[in-house]
Amino acid sequence: MAAPLTLLLIVGVSIRLFLFRSSLADIIAERVEVVSPLTAWKRVIEGLALLDLGVSPYSGDIFHETPLIIYLFHFVVDYAEITFMLADVITAVALYLAVKDYNTQVLKKQRFELEADRYPMDCLELVRSPTQMYYIPLKVAMVYMLNPFTILSCVAKSTCGLNNAVLGLFFLCTIKKNTMLSAIFLALATYQSIYPITLCAPAMLYIMQRLYIPVNYRWASFWWFVVQYLFIYLGSLFVIICLSFFLLGSWDYIPSVYGFILSVPDLTPNIGLFWYFFAEMFEHFRLFFLCVFQINVFFYTIPLSIKLKEHPVFLMFMQLAVMSIFKSYPTVGDIALYLSLLPLWSHLHRFLRNIFLVTCVLIACSALFPVLWHLWIYSGSANSNFYYAITLLFNVAQILLVSDYFYAFLRREHHLTYGLYLKKKDGSEATLVLK
Amino acid sequence: MKLPVLFLIFATHFLSGTAHIGKNVGNFFSSQHTNNWAVLVCTSRFWFNYRHVANTLSVYRSVKRLGIPDSHIVLMLADDMACNHRNPKPATVFSHKNMELNVYGDDVEVDYRGYEVTVENFLRVLTGRLPPSTPRSKRLLSDDRSNILIYLTGHGGNGFLKFQDSEEISNVELADAFEQMWQKRRYNELLFIIDTCQGASMYERFYSPNLMALASSQVGEDSLSHQPDLAIGVHLMDRYTFYLLEFLEDIHPASKTNMNDLFKVCPKSQCVSTPGHRTDLFLRDPGSVLITDFFGSVRKVEITTDAINLTEPIEQKQDIAVSEEQEKVQYSYTDQLPVSEIIHQKPKQKDWHPPDGFILGLWTLILLVFFRAYGIKHLKHIF
Repeated sequence: MAAPLTLLLIVGVSIRLFLFRSSLADIIAERVEVVSPLTAWKRVIEGLALLDLGVSPYSGDIFHETPLIIYLFHFVVDYAEITFMLADVITAVALYLAVKDYNTQVLKKQRFELEADRYPMDCLELVRSPTQMYYIPLKVAMVYMLNPFTILSCVAKSTCGLNNAVLGLFFLCTIKKNTMLSAIFLALATYQSIYPITLCAPAMLYIMQRLYIPVNYRWASFWWFVVQYLFIYLGSLFVIICLSFFLLGSWDYIPSVYGFILSVPDLTPNIGLFWYFFAEMFEHFRLFFLCVFQINVFFYTIPLSIKLKEHPVFLMFMQLAVMSIFKSYPTVGDIALYLSLLPLWSHLHRFLRNIFLVTCVLIACSALFPVLWHLWIYSGSANSNFYYAITLLFNVAQILLVSDYFYAFLRREHHLTYGLYLKKKDGSEATLVLK
Repeated sequence: MKLPVLFLIFATHFLSGTAHIGKNVGNFFSSQHTNNWAVLVCTSRFWFNYRHVANTLSVYRSVKRLGIPDSHIVLMLADDMACNHRNPKPATVFSHKNMELNVYGDDVEVDYRGYEVTVENFLRVLTGRLPPSTPRSKRLLSDDRSNILIYLTGHGGNGFLKFQDSEEISNVELADAFEQMWQKRRYNELLFIIDTCQGASMYERFYSPNLMALASSQVGEDSLSHQPDLAIGVHLMDRYTFYLLEFLEDIHPASKTNMNDLFKVCPKSQCVSTPGHRTDLFLRDPGSVLITDFFGSVRKVEITTDAINLTEPIEQKQDIAVSEEQEKVQYSYTDQLPVSEIIHQKPKQKDWHPPDGFILGLWTLILLVFFRAYGIKHLKHIF
């Protein structure tokens, strides 16, 4: 499978090269859907220029990147395009390898269950076969590389691409049950934007599953593993933060980066939900609603992980989706990451109910974003409500997508336990609903 | 009987004239003005203030008839009565009932019309502080040899005059504007006539020299309107200006009527209000001031074939000796920004480098992680 992957990578890189050299690169780099105040390339250059003039880049409201990004781009700023293309390639390859390994695990587990006769007779058509799953890794890599969202994000040189690369590597290390590296990459991802902390739970669950540690709070080995993982995670986070102190010799970056992400002072419109709400919020209630919105991101971790503790990779997918939808400054690059994991669940298609609607809405909204932006900002014949409506619709479609997959997944699990054709007590046909 | 007397008088004048050319030269310069200007302002709008427009237009008519050209008249009318929807006789403005006299005519040139008549524009016209794009017809291009007639009419009160139902000019502002005109040498002598209620309050505050002022009523009195025309439906003129117009109709460019006669226009029996005047700031005796000094544009021309010696010869000014200090000193501003450092042609040099300790610490960590993850056996490949 190396050859198709290489071909895919070459195609992806050439598309990006072509777009870098065209005049669209400047237009795309300014679009608010693709760059946010956290990830914009313009701000990175501004921060580096400020540094050359002897001023701390964190003074003022321009630069919100972490010091490690400063360190990286100090040396590669002339080769920025290659860096971002390399980041995309790394993510695609990492996802490819991770999914390949995961498929092997899934098939192994399935074989165990079949031999243990856990599946009722009539649901054998739900059982997956290796031939079905042969092309899934390639599909995952393809969806990531050739996704228009990813291409736009790369051409805009948004540092979201780097974030995605770190998350991809984290995913790879988790699947390869490498505790230390997974914790370290997660710490790096959390260091850059706070939200990946919610991915701790699925990572821990998956590695415990692979190491045959039962997920039960009564077992000592469970707690010992949790302590180990958290120690490495928090320790490396601490080390990285302290190391960043030594780059510029000050703690300025903490309010500039983490304070900015958490307190959302910049209300530039983007595809998220925060800006409109907080633009019209009274000062009195701002803190309250800020807490509500931020808790919303972290809130789904515990219930979902209790429900999906047998299926940590699906939990990871759901966490990534929740993070991309509800984070304070989402961009299309974040969406691209969890969309690329959709081929993993292609076997659920027969249970998906809203997929046509969701696809149409997502495509329509993506097309309408620039239109309504133009109408609002340039023609003056629309106002922010129009743009926010499309944002809202886009996010609703994403949430519908995620919940649809959730429903399909659970339904398949239910069928695998109780049989495909469900009967009520009196023998008539029953249907399954997600309450 | 009159004719021989007149002949005698002319003869004596002629004889004395030839002998006393020098004295006539003195007369030639007596009023000391060389050009005339008029600023005529009506400040009210709406149909029921027809009479204010008629007031202004009748003064305009007289002034034009007596010789001031349109280029020297700034006419400001706040509303258009001639073409008002309610005018039963469009394109006319009458001053006498039964439509005896149409003061609008064919050749009225209105310089400021409608909403352009504001306090700001009026004061800018007087002081000359207009934007460079203002056309000549809207400017008062007077100099220090100009006699200016200023006529204001409208609704007023004690110390103010209302412009356009939305703003007022106060007597203090007016006095200060005239002082600006004096300091900028924009007039030689100025005659100020105002026909409003309590009009005398508007000239109370004048303090610049060579101002003479007339008003239609004293403080506490109202100026009344003259007569309505039942066909048009409104009052056509105010009393004071009506009788002023009648007075001016008898004036012709060669009249020798003087200001004292003007002060007698519209006594209380005719005007009901008491007209007032103020001459304390005026340097000449009002009796020696001709009406045509302000209302007309009369040029004194005396034809003589004799050469006239002006008493003092004009002396050439001596050139001031140019000394070394008078070399032109080049002035320039100091640079506010270090321009030469900002716009430099050198390639951008990255002055900032990450501290060495940081680099060392980072790479040590990376190496540690690598070896911990992949085993110590790779170490032998490095060293």
